[in-house]
Amino acid sequence: MSAADGGAPRVALVIGAGSVKCAAALGLWRVLKREGIDIDLVVGCSGGSIYAGVMALGLGVEECEEMTHGLWRREITERADWRSMLGALFPKLFGFNGRLGMVHDAPLLKALSTPFGGRDFAETKIPLHVVATDLANGEQVTLSEGSILNAIRASVAIPYVWQPWKVGERWLLDGCLSAPLPVDVAMREGADLILAMGFESPYPRRIRSGTRYAFQINSIYTNNLLRANYAFHNLAHHAEIIPVLPEFGENIGLFDTHKFPYVIEQGERAMEAQLPYLKQLLATA
Amino acid sequence: MEIHVERHTTVTVVRIAGSVDGLTADTLLAALQAEVDGGHVRLVGDLSAVDYTSSAGLRALLATVKQARQKGGDFRLAGAVPQVSRVLEMSGFTSILKMYEEVEVALASFGS
Repeated sequence: MSAADGGAPRVALVIGAGSVKCAAALGLWRVLKREGIDIDLVVGCSGGSIYAGVMALGLGVEECEEMTHGLWRREITERADWRSMLGALFPKLFGFNGRLGMVHDAPLLKALSTPFGGRDFAETKIPLHVVATDLANGEQVTLSEGSILNAIRASVAIPYVWQPWKVGERWLLDGCLSAPLPVDVAMREGADLILAMGFESPYPRRIRSGTRYAFQINSIYTNNLLRANYAFHNLAHHAEIIPVLPEFGENIGLFDTHKFPYVIEQGERAMEAQLPYLKQLLATA
Repeated sequence: MEIHVERHTTVTVVRIAGSVDGLTADTLLAALQAEVDGGHVRLVGDLSAVDYTSSAGLRALLATVKQARQKGGDFRLAGAVPQVSRVLEMSGFTSILKMYEEVEVALASFGS
């Protein structure tokens, strides 16, 4: 049932790529829960897929906040993947398998296993779609069945940081390489109202290392892709996109776990700013 | 939403107040279209009193830009507040539309 059939509008939540900033989705969610507004489907990309996943599984907001603290720990990036790096640097000596990740993914997988280990898309309380990118051809890939852990591991495979992840026959990378804010998936799934929580990657004041330089280039690509995709989908379809764009007055580092309350609060504020309009739309449907 | 039309010598200023969204887009589009159909194709949209915008509202603005340009004019925007400006920027408007901080500057941009 959708607005086009004369029924209630289908409401989708799309949580874009944004690493630790994606925790702002918990603030958004808190507002929706408080207001009794239900979501009909949820779409996540990269860091956003983690929060889309826990929401779809029906975890409580407080549980998710705890999970957030457990997930974003230094341990997930501390173990180097020497085998992968040596293979990339000295392919003749060590052999290169066509995939590179500087960080070993075992700690990441362990952290993701807590909320998602053994969980399947079929178990979700609301339909979940996770977006990743095909390494072979750059195609946007939407994962909607099978192992949630596999889908999220693929969606968070930040280029150069973590190796791509195999799902089916495809090696998949971070969804932000093809759709940093995948509102198109919500449109395709028949959403009438789309709450789109997006994040632009920050640009540091100074680039102090080769790694930061690589991140800078990545940010330039993905920010421009975010805007280009958003502009197209915003204007090309009848669905109403409600942008939920948290504003962060301060830089949020990957392991600034002490800033989670602030990040969540900014998400809450961003959603509250959109609430009057959302409620009007739902009331007039 | 409130719409107030103000005619200057060769340019028409459309002052918009309130939300530019799915609930008001039709009203806004009708008002803007009436201007274009009436031959007032050099338009400035004063957004200084617009506090909210969403995709449906943006589509109304874009439709007007297209129509005005097809008839040899233009629809330029002025005075967008930061939260509206941010959405316009994210939506690609700033790259295809001429936007100004002040209505007077937008008016002057059309020349005499």
